[in-house]
Amino acid sequence: MKRILAMFAALTALGLIPALQVSAADVIKIGVQAPITGQYASEGQGIDKAVRLLAEQVNGEGGVLGKKLEIVSCDDEGTAMKVAICARDLVNKGVLAVIGSYTSTCAEAAQRTYFQAGVLQTSDGTADSLTQHGYWTFLRNSFPNSAEASFVADYLVKEKDYKRIAILSDFSSYAEGLADATVEAIEEAGGNIVFRDKIKAGAQNFTPILTNAKSENPDVIFFAGYYTDGGLLRSQQVALGVNADFVAGDANDNPDFIKLAGSAAEGAYIVNVPTPNMLPYELAKDFLDSYKAKYGEMPPSIWTLLNVDGMRAILHGMEETGGTDTKKIAEYLHAMEPYPGITGPIAFADDGNRTGSGYMAYRILEDGTYEIAYRQN
Amino acid sequence: MDTFLQQLVNGLTIGSMFALVALGYTMVFGVMKLINFAHGDLVAMAAFIGLTIYTQVLGQANTLFSVLVIFALTTLIIAFAGVLLERIAYRPLRRAPRLSAVVSALGASLVIQNGIMLIWGPRMKIFPESLIPSVTWNLGGVVVSFLQVVILGLSCFLMVALYLYVEKTRAGAAIRASSINQDAAKLMGINVNRIITTIFIIGSALGAVGGLFIALYYRGITFNMGWNYGLYAFVAAIIGGIGNIPGAMVGGMLLGLFNAFIAGYVSSTWADAFTFIMLIIILIFRPTGILGERVAEKV
Repeated sequence: MKRILAMFAALTALGLIPALQVSAADVIKIGVQAPITGQYASEGQGIDKAVRLLAEQVNGEGGVLGKKLEIVSCDDEGTAMKVAICARDLVNKGVLAVIGSYTSTCAEAAQRTYFQAGVLQTSDGTADSLTQHGYWTFLRNSFPNSAEASFVADYLVKEKDYKRIAILSDFSSYAEGLADATVEAIEEAGGNIVFRDKIKAGAQNFTPILTNAKSENPDVIFFAGYYTDGGLLRSQQVALGVNADFVAGDANDNPDFIKLAGSAAEGAYIVNVPTPNMLPYELAKDFLDSYKAKYGEMPPSIWTLLNVDGMRAILHGMEETGGTDTKKIAEYLHAMEPYPGITGPIAFADDGNRTGSGYMAYRILEDGTYEIAYRQN
Repeated sequence: MDTFLQQLVNGLTIGSMFALVALGYTMVFGVMKLINFAHGDLVAMAAFIGLTIYTQVLGQANTLFSVLVIFALTTLIIAFAGVLLERIAYRPLRRAPRLSAVVSALGASLVIQNGIMLIWGPRMKIFPESLIPSVTWNLGGVVVSFLQVVILGLSCFLMVALYLYVEKTRAGAAIRASSINQDAAKLMGINVNRIITTIFIIGSALGAVGGLFIALYYRGITFNMGWNYGLYAFVAAIIGGIGNIPGAMVGGMLLGLFNAFIAGYVSSTWADAFTFIMLIIILIFRPTGILGERVAEKV
């Protein structure tokens, strides 16, 4: 009998009490699931800080639907194992939506739990698989990997009108995936690919492959791979006198790319979502200013701000639907007109993907700084 | 034709770097019958020491004087490190079974590699670009850079000098004698310990020059790069006939050219696989390497 009573008490503690709290509360709880410690700590802390800042701002203006926002954070440490605990914990605490996590893996591991509980989730994960499960609760606030490929195709074929395109990648799943998707998108756009080959990451000696590419007279080389190879590739390309523009994918957006390429870095192009300080929007400037004023530093990366936009969209959905019915909010968000965001207009496709493209092409200047060369509207 | 000549230039440049490093393997093997697995890591260490001298001692000055100081100091330090390596890791095991020395070599390799990582960090470091003027010439479609000329010229000079030293001087005769039969050499009054120290000095110094060339040519240096280049140089030494000094030079050049042409005409993804296929074929038909002589096995 005692045991049954104890079990009952435990069940109450786990399930009922949080439920009672929600119904009684005059606050709206928003969860943060982020790697606040561990390998990605700086990113996780950035997300947590930014979400809390946004909540503070919203509460300062009277909250949402007349209720204050309350932030509940859970540290998933960037590991799928901890995710299971976090997801359960946040659901039990009665959150309406969860911001996070930072990595695709951790976001994906939590998706099902949130879906079953009807809790909205918005994450910056870029893996295409995130939106392929059919969970209406999931809203991607970043742009999937395939968006980069279509941006590159658009830039190379439509904007720059290159006639002879060379594509290089390494063997990593990221780089091959990006290169394959880019090839597909370029061919769809009617571009002409004259050379396609792969390098071995870390091989350092790329002159043989570049010599080969040279014999095809490309007018642009697109490299999908990492900066450690990209910088050398660019430097050896110029040393070899291959007169082609050099466009590199997002993993080349690193100061070491410029150091490795040396004087050859100037004039190379890098495609990526912008760094926070490159965002051209008024909203972005305001938010960055308040972030800096509160925490004395800039957000660690664009991913922080994408998550903030995900949260802003959900709050906007609550205002518009006038309630906390997550199903209605999701339906509204999937169909809404683009809503101004920190990282550009926010709109979602039916599968929860963010539509549009946040990618930009940068030209590297002589002093190693970036200049926006191209962005889609 | 342009492409062929360009690949030839590419191949000779990397080939001469392989050859310089391969000499260290082959000389040590010639005298001690030991594969010095730590040699590649000394090569990597040379690149890091060169970079430290450039940033800390020379204040990043890009002059001819800087180049000379970097090469002289790095070569000295690595030669000393090579001698130290022999004293600590190999000499105590001189009379031990062959396997113990090989394991000790592998251990030394790990120690040096991790040492580099602890001192200079695990991230890629970047060698200065403008230390050697980045002049290039376009010879009828074939692009040759000043650095490539320097690498090729200096490597050939060092190899010819080494060849003359080993073949034409008394000290060289002593090295050759020790490599044929250590006991007989001792009976002839040759101080074999001194010979071994000498070959570690020469081998490590050549490796240091090779390491600096690699750093200058590719610029990105990592703590574990010694493994990669060491492996290639080791293959070069075997192809040429391990223990044979001209063999290492030929092997290195051949490997560089082979790599460039496979990457150029077949696919760079297959370059490594073909390299090792070539190694197997050469070992099947000429087990002692291209220039290695067939010697009767002592029982």
